[in-house]
Parts: sequence; C-alpha cells; structure tokens
Amino acid sequence: MNDNIWVLMTGDSVALATTLILAALGALFTERSGVLNLGVEGVLLTSAISSFIAADSSGSVWIGLIVGSLAGALLAGIHAVLAVVLRANQIVSGLALVIFGTGLANYLGKPYEGKTISVKLTDLTFGPLTDIPLLGPILFEQDIITYLAVLAAVVSSLYLFRTRPGLEVRATGDDPATVDAQGLMVSTIRIRYTLFGGLVMGLGGSWLMLAESAAWHQAATTNGVGWIALALVVFASWRPIRLVIGAVSFGFTLQLPYTLQAENITFIPQAFLQMVPYVATLISLIALSRPGSTNALGAPKSLGIPFVRDER
Amino acid sequence: MRAPFRLQFEQRTETPKRLGILVPVVSVFAALIAGALFLLATGHSVGDTYSNMLSDGFFSSTGITDTLGLSTVLICTGIAAAFAFQMNLYNIGGEGQLYVGMIGATWFGLYFGENLPSFLMIPIVLLGGALCGAAWIAIPAWVRARLGTSEIVTTLLLTYVAASLVNHFIYRSGSYFRAPNTMFPQGRQVPDSAMLSPIGDTKMYPTFFVVILLSLALHWMVRRTEFGYRIQVISDSPRAARYAGISARRTTVQVMLISGALAGLGGATLIVGSFQRLDPGIVTLGYGYAGIVIAALARNNMAAVIVSGILFAGLRSGGDKLQISTDTPIHIGVMLQGAILLFALGGEAFRRYKIRVVRTPAVRVEVTA
Repeated sequence: MNDNIWVLMTGDSVALATTLILAALGALFTERSGVLNLGVEGVLLTSAISSFIAADSSGSVWIGLIVGSLAGALLAGIHAVLAVVLRANQIVSGLALVIFGTGLANYLGKPYEGKTISVKLTDLTFGPLTDIPLLGPILFEQDIITYLAVLAAVVSSLYLFRTRPGLEVRATGDDPATVDAQGLMVSTIRIRYTLFGGLVMGLGGSWLMLAESAAWHQAATTNGVGWIALALVVFASWRPIRLVIGAVSFGFTLQLPYTLQAENITFIPQAFLQMVPYVATLISLIALSRPGSTNALGAPKSLGIPFVRDER
Repeated sequence: MRAPFRLQFEQRTETPKRLGILVPVVSVFAALIAGALFLLATGHSVGDTYSNMLSDGFFSSTGITDTLGLSTVLICTGIAAAFAFQMNLYNIGGEGQLYVGMIGATWFGLYFGENLPSFLMIPIVLLGGALCGAAWIAIPAWVRARLGTSEIVTTLLLTYVAASLVNHFIYRSGSYFRAPNTMFPQGRQVPDSAMLSPIGDTKMYPTFFVVILLSLALHWMVRRTEFGYRIQVISDSPRAARYAGISARRTTVQVMLISGALAGLGGATLIVGSFQRLDPGIVTLGYGYAGIVIAALARNNMAAVIVSGILFAGLRSGGDKLQISTDTPIHIGVMLQGAILLFALGGEAFRRYKIRVVRTPAVRVEVTA
C-alpha cells in the first residue's frame, strides 16, 4: 500500500517538473545569449492567467496554450527592449517585470478568482505500458506537454552544443565582441532569444494552469516556481540535460509536503515541509559556489552585461 | 534584410540637470497613460479610477495622512534596497527580512513588554526587529562575500522560508505568538508599552519622522563618511578598491547586514504602529518588494527614496480604496508601480546617452562568409 503513494508522488513530481523544466529552459536560452531575465515569476503568472482566460472563453486547451505562450513572449519583449535596445540595468528591469506581471495577472484575473476551467489537458495513455508496476504510472501517465518538455530539453542540448546557430547563441553570451566582428548582429540574436525564452516560459506558465491547478488563485498559482527555475539554471550549469534532472528532484521536494500529509505523517510541521524546496535550492546553490569566480559554474561570461560597440 | 534606421547611442560626458528631474516625472506620466489605455481596453472608466486614486491617495486630508502612514514602512524597505543596490548588491529579499523583523519585534514586545516602561520598550522593539532582519540576511551576506553566491537568488529564496515561519507561528496551536482562545487563529497583541499611539485622528505614527531622519542620516553617511566613501570606491571600481587596501569582503557583509536591518526595522514599525501583533496577512501585502521599485525609481539615493516612497504609498493607498469607490480591481495600483519602474528604466537611457535615429546606408558591402 505504502509503495503505491510513493509511486504516485514520483509521478506527480515528474508532472510538477514540467513547469520547472519549461520555465528554466526559457531562462537558459535567454541567459545563454547573455541576457539575464529575472522576470520569470511575472512571465509565468501573466501567461498562466492569459491561458486561463483564453481556454475558458474558447473552450480549447490548445488555444489556451498558444495565447499563454505568446503572452510570455510579449512580456519578455518589454525586457528585450529595455535590456538590449536601451541597455538598462537588467536586474532592475527583470524585477520590474515581476512586479508589473504580478499586478497585470491579478488585475486580469480578478473576475476569475477561485474559478476553475472545464477544459484540461488529459494524460496520455500507453495501454499496457501504463500497467508496468512502478515505472508505468511514473513514465507513461503524463500529458503531452510533459513529454514535450523533456524532449525539448534534449533537443535544446543538441541545438546548443551541436549546431551552428547554437554555437552563435553561446558565443553571444560569452564573447559578443567576437560575434560582432564575425558580422553577426549581437542585439538581434539577444532579442530573438529573449523573446523565444519568454515563449517557452509562457508555455510553462500555461501548463501550470491547464494541467495542474486549473483554478486561478492570484499569486499562489506559481508560488515562487519562477525563482526556483532561475536557481535551477545555475544548479544545472546552463546545461539542458542537467536541468531536467534538477527539475525532477525539485518537483519531488515541492510535492513532499502534500504526500506526507496524505500519508498522515504529521510529526514534521507542515510549515517546515513547505520550506524544503527553498532550503534545498539554497543549500545546493551555496554548495556549487566557489570563491573568486562564477565561471566554475559555467555561467555565460557576458551574462547581464549590455554589449556596447565602439561607435564612430 | 536590415532595418532602414538604427539607433545611435552617444555617451554623455555630463548629464544635464533638467533630465534628472524630467526623466522620473515623464516616466510617471507615461505609466499613467499606459495604465489609462489598459483601463480603457478592459472597460473601466479612466477618469473615475484616476480621480479616485489621486484624491484618496494625495489630495484629501485622510488620504494624505493614510499615505504618509503607509509610507513609513515603504521608505524603510526602500532605503534597505537602495543601501545595498548602491554597492551593486541586489538584496531583493527585503520582503523576508521584513517578516522576520516583525517576528523579532513581536517577540521582544511580548517578552519584555509587561515589565518595562514605554520609553524603553519602543526602542527595544524597533532595534529587536532590525536585529532579526539583519540576522535573516547573514547567511546570504556571508556566502556572497566568501563564495560569490548570487545574493539575488539566496535572499529571495529565504523570503519563502520566512513566509512559512510567519504562518507556522500563527497557525500552530499553542504557539507563543498566537492569541489563546480565539476562534480564528490570530496573533497575540503586544503589551501597551510596546505600542505607539497614532498622531491625532490619523493613521500616522511618530515612527514616520524617525524613518525620515534615518533616511537623511544614511544619505549623509554615504556622502560624507569614510564608510560611505569605501562603498563608492568598491562599486565604482573593485580593482581600485583592492589597490587602496579596502576589504570588499568586509564591506559587502556590513552593507548587506545594514540593508537587512533596515528591512527588519520596517517590520518593527508595523508592530509598534498599526499591526500591534504578528499577522500572517503581511505575506500578501508585498511591502518589501515595493521597496525595490522605490529604490530603483529614486536611483538609490536615500533622500530621494523619501519622495518615491511617499509617491508609491499614495498609489497603493489610493489604489486599495478603489475597490470601495469603483469597480476597478485594486491591482491596477501594483501594475502602475511596475509600469513606472519600466518607463523610468527606459528613460535612464536618455540620461546616459544621446540617442539619435540614423539612416543606415542604402548600399552596403556584403561580406560573404
């Protein structure tokens, strides 16, 4: 009996990891091009409510996913203009995006407070595969976006490390002056990947609404997942495959309090269980730090630094 | 394919004085215009919303005193953020330090309050809050100085931990902070000696003036003391600081601890002021996050934080009353905060650069790779 709930929990963690993977993957692409977008939390919330409204009014999950993703790209576009075109302080711009996005999402979501939507992403079934003990429910009972997220991470890894455009992104993040000397437009590349990053984060935010909570509860909808995603990128040393592994383990710790509560294990106060993912992220960040430089982690060398060409 | 125009940035050697005032003012108006378009698009009345916000926030006697009362905590979190930001230390966990400051202030109030007179208790509670706020940032400060761990993420993560702590102290039965024998869990009120009375009929407390003086004192300290000079040298040029024998590590820890203490003090002003007890409702108010916006709009100038703090308090307080006066969701206030900051950031480019639109040459020599 007990085994059962742990299997369910692992399955749920994989599902929870979907938003984390997508949000972090979006941040990873943005950061690989040298732009630091701290606004993930705001992007997630805005795309979540946009997808909610779109799915609710159209009755289609797919329209919800598309609208939510576009909303994410739109919000990231503000950051791209400020950070890349106007060379603003990227940290403050990202934070402004969180505040603006949170306000916007709550404003738009006011009429939908506590409402649920009728449509929902359904889990795919793989017939007999789902019946495999242990592995079946974990691996073969998820919805399509979850599979897509994992696939996307693998494809991203190949793209970044095995293709020419991937090389260009990485070079733009590490050494924009060289990219510029090669005749490529640094700002165009950065804007493109900031927008793309927002699109991917937006898909993650929409998924949160359309597969997970399915009820709109203001800021509680994301509950800091955007910030965990940012920490996850550091944790994964800006590599997509490691990111998936990290996301699943964080999904597990996020899920833990609810599982233990369902199991009637109450000797640890609920509040302390809720701290686990944040404390775990904190500890792993500190453990990965080395004195002197952040390069030991594999951070893009020009992350957060606007590119200024000597202009005549 | 290339755009026919491109922006040319020319670094200004000297920023004209008028731009220093013009840019923030224009960004506030630009944000209000953007907000107006948004209100129109969602079918709310622009005139009603703004006139209600302005009169409830600034231009009525209860409005302005409510605003100044609210500005007390916002100026605290504003200077907390500005103080760290000026050294490029992004303490964005002021929110969490504020919660822990509240917890600490409440504890000192409950523990000592029965036996000590008010003139001792108020300083003890305020300092207790500041101390706990500083304690909450101690680990991020230390690992930032020692290992270079990004303080942005660590301080933020600890905010979620702090929020869980507040809930724990109120919802756990038999908790020291919880009022006994109430139907709905709520905090235990601190003794009278740990409370200030408001000024006259208003929601302003004497702590407002303390916080104003503190901002001015910090402003002076940054400009006129050796410690302030050290901060400036490190933020301008870490290398020069090293050659001058200034320990960036020690200053990093000091600056972050002070920043955390200021946010904690903000929490304590709530306890001696309007809250009087630990209230889990604080986690929905976002006073700490607002400090980041306030600091950024004031361009990390401690004296300017007073102005931007009052401006934001007015937007908040006027926005919060919208629910009563109109059907516009109160979140328009938060949206406007974000929008003002976004426009101010964009405006910053015009302060630093002369921006010209130039036509790209029609004929280009194409270099084939």
